[in-house]
Amino acid sequence: MAAATVREPRSESSRIHGLAWLAWLVAVLTLTTLTRNPWYLGLMLTWLAVVDAVARRQPVTGRTAQLWSPLRFGLFVVPIAALFNGATVHVGATVLARLPQSWPLLGGPVTLEAFVYGGLNGLALTGIFAAFTVVNRMLPVREIIQLIPRAYYPVAVVAAIALTFVPVTLVQLRQIREAQAVRGHRLAGVRSWLPLWLPLLTGGLERALQLAEAMTARGFAAGDDAPDGWTRVAALVGLPLALAGLLLRTVWAQGALGLVLLVTGTGLVVVAIVVAGRRHPHTRYRPAAWQLHDWVVTGSALAAAGLWALPLALPEQATLAFSPYPRLLLPGFGPVMGMATWALLAPVVVWLAAPAR
Amino acid sequence: MIEFDRVSYTYPGATQPALYDVSLTLPAGEFVVVAGASGTGKSTLLRCLNGLVPHFSGGTLRGSVRVFGLDPVQATPQVMSRHVGFVFQDPEAQFVMDRVEDEIAFALENAAMPPQEMRVRVEETLDLLDLAPLRDRPLETLSGGERQRVAIAAALALRPRLLVLDEPTSQLDPQSAEDVLNALVRLNADLGLTVILAEHRLERVLAYADQLLFLPGPEGSPRQAPILGDPREVLLHMAGTPPLVRLARQLDWSPLPLTVKEGLRFSRKLPTPTAAKPAAQASPAREASPLVAARQVEARYGDTAAVRRVEFALRPGEIVVVMGRNGSGKTTLLKLLVGLVRPAAGHVLVQGRDSAHMDVAEICRTVGYLPQDPNSLLFADTVADELGITLRNHGMETADAPRGLLADLGLGHLAGAYPRDLSVGERQRAALAAVTVVQPAALLLDEPTRGLDYGAKAQLTELLTRWRAAGMGIAVVTHDVELAAAIADRVVLMSQGEIIAQGRPAAVLGASPLFAPQIARLFPGTGWLTPSDVSAATTNGA
Repeated sequence: MAAATVREPRSESSRIHGLAWLAWLVAVLTLTTLTRNPWYLGLMLTWLAVVDAVARRQPVTGRTAQLWSPLRFGLFVVPIAALFNGATVHVGATVLARLPQSWPLLGGPVTLEAFVYGGLNGLALTGIFAAFTVVNRMLPVREIIQLIPRAYYPVAVVAAIALTFVPVTLVQLRQIREAQAVRGHRLAGVRSWLPLWLPLLTGGLERALQLAEAMTARGFAAGDDAPDGWTRVAALVGLPLALAGLLLRTVWAQGALGLVLLVTGTGLVVVAIVVAGRRHPHTRYRPAAWQLHDWVVTGSALAAAGLWALPLALPEQATLAFSPYPRLLLPGFGPVMGMATWALLAPVVVWLAAPAR
Repeated sequence: MIEFDRVSYTYPGATQPALYDVSLTLPAGEFVVVAGASGTGKSTLLRCLNGLVPHFSGGTLRGSVRVFGLDPVQATPQVMSRHVGFVFQDPEAQFVMDRVEDEIAFALENAAMPPQEMRVRVEETLDLLDLAPLRDRPLETLSGGERQRVAIAAALALRPRLLVLDEPTSQLDPQSAEDVLNALVRLNADLGLTVILAEHRLERVLAYADQLLFLPGPEGSPRQAPILGDPREVLLHMAGTPPLVRLARQLDWSPLPLTVKEGLRFSRKLPTPTAAKPAAQASPAREASPLVAARQVEARYGDTAAVRRVEFALRPGEIVVVMGRNGSGKTTLLKLLVGLVRPAAGHVLVQGRDSAHMDVAEICRTVGYLPQDPNSLLFADTVADELGITLRNHGMETADAPRGLLADLGLGHLAGAYPRDLSVGERQRAALAAVTVVQPAALLLDEPTRGLDYGAKAQLTELLTRWRAAGMGIAVVTHDVELAAAIADRVVLMSQGEIIAQGRPAAVLGASPLFAPQIARLFPGTGWLTPSDVSAATTNGA
C-alpha cells in the first residue's frame, strides 16, 4: 500500500509534547526544592492556578478522574503542615506559648517561625500537587509510556496501568461502601474500615490478575525483555562507580580521580540502557510530533530552572535562600527571579494562541 | 483445524481434574458455541487454545492440543497471540491504555510492526467493528458493550485466524449483548474467522451457531465426554435450554426450532383457546399494608433527575419485577427504598415510618438489598463468618439461624469455604445469605441473574418462590425477561425515571415487542409466558 502522509487534525496543533511537559515539571520541582521564599512560592502558585484553570477548558487528553482539586489539597495540607511543624520544632525567636518540657515531642517553646516554616512546606507541596494534576489531565497514557526509555518498557506499561487503575478503584470503593452499609455496617472507629479495605484490596488483586491474563493473551509477556548478562553487569558496575566518583569529588576532594570514575560509571549505565532497549524493538504508533511551541515551553522552563539552580553570580540568588529562622523577617524579592516564574505560564500561552477550532 | 487428543488438565492444588480425557475436532471457519453449567470446564477448555492453560495458570496438562498445526504448550501464549485472539468476560479488566486507538495499537507495537503498516491496520480494525466514531474516546466513558467491541478489536489487531470468547456478554445488558453478538456473526460470515464462544444465554446465539459443544456434568464433575455436533441434535442432550427449546422437546416438535420464527411454524398449528385465561398466580392480599413504599419520590444525580415523581409499593407475599432500559432509574429506585440514595422530594416509608430519619443500617434490618456485584460484600474467611459479621453489625447475637439458612440456600456443605473461591452462583447465594440472615420482611435484588447458568437461575427462582410463600415481599430489577415471566406477580416498566407501565406480567410483557418472552411470542394473545403455562393450559383445556 502506498505510504500516505499523516495529517494531524486541528486539535492536535495545540498539543504539548510529553518531553516539554517533563521540562515544565522540572522547572516547578526546581523552584519548590530550592526555595521557601513566600514571594516566589506565592507567584508560582498563582501561575499554577492560572494554568490549571485554562487546562480545565481544554479537551481532556489524559485522565478525567481527579481525587482532589489542588485548592482543596492546599486548604488541607497547609494548615496541617503548619500545625505539625509548630508543635514539634522548637526553634525560633518569636515564642507564642510554652509547653511543659517533660512532654516527649511537643515539649518546649512553640514559635511563630516554626508555624511559618511548616506552612511554607505545605505551599511547596501544593505546588507540586497542582503541577502533577495538570500533567495528569493533559498527558495520555501512550505519551507517558513513550517518555520512558525502551529498556524499561515493562516498567512503563505497569506505570501506565496504575494510572488507569485509580479511577476504577475509586468507583469500586463507593460500591463497597454501599454494599457494606446494606449489611448494617456503620463507620465507627478504626476497626470498621477493615470491611472497606479488604474487599477493595482483594478486588484489586483479582482485577490485576485478570488484566495480567488479558495481556498475556495479547502477546505481552514480561521476562523476554530482561537484559542479557553483559548489559546487566554493565549497569551493576556502572552505578557504584558513578557513586564512588561523586563521593571522591565532594567528600574526599579527589577531583580528578573522582571525575574519571563518575564519567565512566555514568557512561556504562547509559550504554547498558541503550543496548538493552535495542534488544527488543517496539515500534511507536503515531509518536507525538515535536512542534514549535514545544521548543518554547521547554526552552523557557529550562532557562528558568537554570536561572534558579545554577551558581551564576547574581546578587538576587540570595533571596532564594530565605528562612524564617532564627527570627521572622520580611523576605527579600528579586525581580529577575520573580520574572523567571513566568516560564510556568508557557502552556497557557500555547493554548490561548492555538487557532480556534 | 483444532484438535484435542485425550486432554486432561488439573489446576495446581486441585483434587479433581478440570478436564478429563477430552478428544474433539473443530473445523476451521465455523461459529462454535460452547455450553454447559458453571464449573464443567468451559473456561479451561478455551484457555487451552492459546496456551494460557498451562502457561499462565500452572497445573498439569496431559494429552495434546493442536491449533492450526501449532502446539500451544510448546509455542507460548506470546506466539499463539498472533494466531488466536482471546476476549474475556469482564469489560473493565482487559485494557492497558486509556484510549480506543491506543489499545488496538498496543499489540501491534509489541510485534514491532512498521508505523505505516500499523496505521493502516488500526484503521481497518476500527472499521471492522464500527468503532471509528469512538476512536478518540477515553475507555472509561464507554458502555460495557462498546468496551467489549474494543476488546474484540484489540484481539483482532494481529489478524488471528481464531477468535475465542469466554462469556463476553454475561456482564452486559441485552442491547449491548446484541451488538457484540451481531459483530461476531458478521466477522464469521464476512471474513471466515473461526469463532469459538462460551455463552450461557443460548437464546441469542443458537440461530447462528454452526456447531454446539456441550460439556455435561453437574458443577465440578467433568467426567463425562463432551458432546459436539449440530445444535439441533446436541440440544436434545442438554437439561439447561431456552424456554422455546424446552417446550419444543416437551411437544416433540421436529426438527427442533431454534428461533421464534422457526417455532411459529409449529405453534400456529396448535389449537389455542381464543379467550385465554392467564395461569392463575397467587394474588397478594391487596389490603395488606406495604412493607416499603415510595411516595412521589424524586432523586437527582447532579443536574439530571434520575427518578421523577414515582409511586411504588411492595406488599408482603408478592414478587415485583422492575424492568427498563439502562439508565431508566431502576437501580436508583431500589437505592431510594433502602436509603442509599436520599430523595430530593417525596417520602420513602418503611413499614409505615418515614425513612428520612433512619440510617441505612436500620432500614436494612427490615429491607434486605442484594447489590449488583456480590463481590463487594464478601470479605470474611468463611461463609459462616460472613453471616456472623452481619449479625454482629446489627447487634443481634449469633444464634442458630446461620445453619438453617445456609442449608436453605444450598450452601450447607460450604459453610467453611472461602467465599471468593466459590462459583458465581454460589457467591451470589452467599451474599444473599449474608443479607437475609437478619430475616428481613422485604428483599430487593439488583440484577441477580447476571452470569448465572440455567441451573443456578432455576435454583434462584425456586428460592424466591419459596420465600414469597413464606410472606416475604420481593422486588427484583432485571433485564432477564424469562425470569420475570417465571416469578413475577406484578411487572413495573420504567423509562427516564418514570413508571410507564405497571400490571400483571401477562398484560405488560405479553404484548410488548421488546420484553415479550419467547413463549409469549410463540402464542400471541394467549397470555402464556412460560412452558409450564402452555402445558397447564393444554392438559386442562384439552
